[in-house]
Amino acid sequence: MDYRNLTETEISLLEAQGCYCRDWPVVWVAPPFDPGLIHGVRFEGEVKLSGLHGMVAPDGETPRPAGLYSCFLRNCEIHGPVYISQVGRLEGYTVEKDVSIENVSSIFVDGPTAFGNGVEAEVLNEGGGREVLIFEQLTAQIAYLMANYRHEPEMIARLKGLIRAYCENRRSERGVIGAGASIRGAQSIRNVNFGPKARIGGVQLLEEGTVAGCAEAPALVGEGVIARRFVIQSGSTVDSGAILEKCFVGQGVRIGKQFSAENSLFFANCEAFHGEAVSLFAGPYTVTHHKSSLLIAGLFSFFNAGSGTNQSNHMYKLGPVHQGRLERGCKTGSFSYLLWPCRIGAFSVVMDKHGSNFDTADFPFSYLTVEDGKSILTPAMNLFTVGTRRDSEKWPARDRRHDPDRLDLIRFELLSPYIAGKIIRGSEILQTLYEQASKEQKYVRYQGIHILRLLLKTCRKYYQLALKKYYGEQLARRLESRPPDSLSQLRDALQPKEGGDGDWVDLAGLLAPAAAVREVLEAVKGGEVKSVEQLRSRLAAIDGNYEEYAWSWYAGTLEKEMGISIGRATKEQLAGLIREWRASSVKLNNMTLKDAEKEFDQNSRIGFGADGGEEVMTADFSAVRGGYESNAFVRRLRAENEEVEKKAAFWEKELERLLG
Amino acid sequence: MEIKEIKARVIKVIAEVLETEASVIGEEDNFIFDLGADSMQSLQLVAGFEEEFDIEMDEDKALEVQTVGDAVDFIAQYL
Repeated sequence: MDYRNLTETEISLLEAQGCYCRDWPVVWVAPPFDPGLIHGVRFEGEVKLSGLHGMVAPDGETPRPAGLYSCFLRNCEIHGPVYISQVGRLEGYTVEKDVSIENVSSIFVDGPTAFGNGVEAEVLNEGGGREVLIFEQLTAQIAYLMANYRHEPEMIARLKGLIRAYCENRRSERGVIGAGASIRGAQSIRNVNFGPKARIGGVQLLEEGTVAGCAEAPALVGEGVIARRFVIQSGSTVDSGAILEKCFVGQGVRIGKQFSAENSLFFANCEAFHGEAVSLFAGPYTVTHHKSSLLIAGLFSFFNAGSGTNQSNHMYKLGPVHQGRLERGCKTGSFSYLLWPCRIGAFSVVMDKHGSNFDTADFPFSYLTVEDGKSILTPAMNLFTVGTRRDSEKWPARDRRHDPDRLDLIRFELLSPYIAGKIIRGSEILQTLYEQASKEQKYVRYQGIHILRLLLKTCRKYYQLALKKYYGEQLARRLESRPPDSLSQLRDALQPKEGGDGDWVDLAGLLAPAAAVREVLEAVKGGEVKSVEQLRSRLAAIDGNYEEYAWSWYAGTLEKEMGISIGRATKEQLAGLIREWRASSVKLNNMTLKDAEKEFDQNSRIGFGADGGEEVMTADFSAVRGGYESNAFVRRLRAENEEVEKKAAFWEKELERLLG
Repeated sequence: MEIKEIKARVIKVIAEVLETEASVIGEEDNFIFDLGADSMQSLQLVAGFEEEFDIEMDEDKALEVQTVGDAVDFIAQYL
């Protein structure tokens, strides 16, 4: 860009228009330059102006002629048409084209800053020791490794090194207001970078942070927000009086309605309103909507907090040193309480106030309740509830990330090698407990929690049902994705590759073989991974290979659990898996349908039919809630049953043809 | 096994699971509406009957049984 000084005529005109500069030669302009677009501006330090002509039209705003009006500019570069009006102090920024800044008290950079990159958030354990460095490229997986793998200090040191290098690259004495951004009605903004099309309206205070974003997924920070030391990622909204301190807000997140958070991370598609978060690791799809809900010192994902949900992380001894973990898909009922440390198995529902510490990680799909002061675990009960099914359908449908570069890796499967592995382990434990229990016992105890002895066998039976469904479903999906036309094609399709064996882990959304993750960790530790981008790419490769890893795990598990070698399985074995899939799927769906029926029974009608008798109640209920038979969820499940029947019949026939 | 004995043992299981007096349990009583069994207790009842009589019942059908008398008849089929 060829800049020049202002001419005497231009300076005279500017001064006549209320502009002032103690030292006009520090103001540089690039032709074409029209001084008529600048009124009442005080310049200080070096200011460069280019392209200040044409119209400015940030998304959703009325187009206005570009210009600078009633503002103080110090050490700024302006590139392209912008509209800046009534700004008390704009200092240390590069302002890109199509930016609109209006009625802002101050927006300035006052020294070298990394704009929130490199801030340490003390997540998971308020006592410290699990700090996560927040930065613009932070993903749920990188944060998970940094917070949870502290037993590997060399790897952690390398990982921090990679991140610090990234953060250093972001360090600058100059901020950027990205193209198409709009900042209006703000009070104080200090050391904050703004991504393209960021929309900032009515914020109270933003300090040391980045509001990232891209044209496809701008971020919005709205009225009354106070945020210090933060990164807000693309497509997210933080508004209505939210207060953030040392927080990372991932992609597609919504935070508002006076929610306050400190030392917390919110990954993709989280929603946080009204309540409070402290040292929270909110994995993807963590949702808390209610007042007086506190999420503290815990790791959650695909989580839904009931109103008044609460946890305690200290017992007035050595400080707030306790932490908890609710595996993916858990829910807490209204006013549920957990006393950390606790670990809850995936897709479980926690009700009541629990005053003991327990670990139910090997029991997914459980209910946790309290009876006579005892914490009671009922495994497998949440396998066939409407809520579980509806949740698993809604998560992928509610992915709000429109950024072409999606940071978090997310697997949505309800049944996966990770969960199926837990079910197998849980089944074994239930069997052992059943064999060891006396018939005189009402409860058996396991890792701090009670299980009703009478239900040990029943719960195990339900777990087996889920496994049968999983085994057959995987086979059917595999065959569908590689439809075989000959015996050799069938064998090829079923032959597993290597790599998915052993335990699996859930890295806050990414389901992966522990061995594959181990390889990445070793590569970080050994210096083979040289940048954050490379680390992301290695993790993405694991996710990209999910289907093959899962199939390999499946093959190994079938061999171990059922003695079936899938690559050489007989017709009877394969047909048996398909038959059991059909039977177990239909049964589980029918049990879920039974659960749905409860939403239409007499109890559910209480409160309907105001000022009338039973007839009015029924009519009112039908008008508002509709009928069971016409309910969309019920119809979907029935259609799924038909589909399973059809597919199972097809594959039985195909297997007969191929293996006849 | 005679129906009378089945009935007595069924009532014993119900009383234990629902923590109620055996004397107040009648043949016509509905598990949910009269005896207040919730879904979890219904599962316990099925498990309790299976253990008491050392049988394996069709659980879907077992859970459809509404009254104490029907439970007695249902269990009798397995004995």
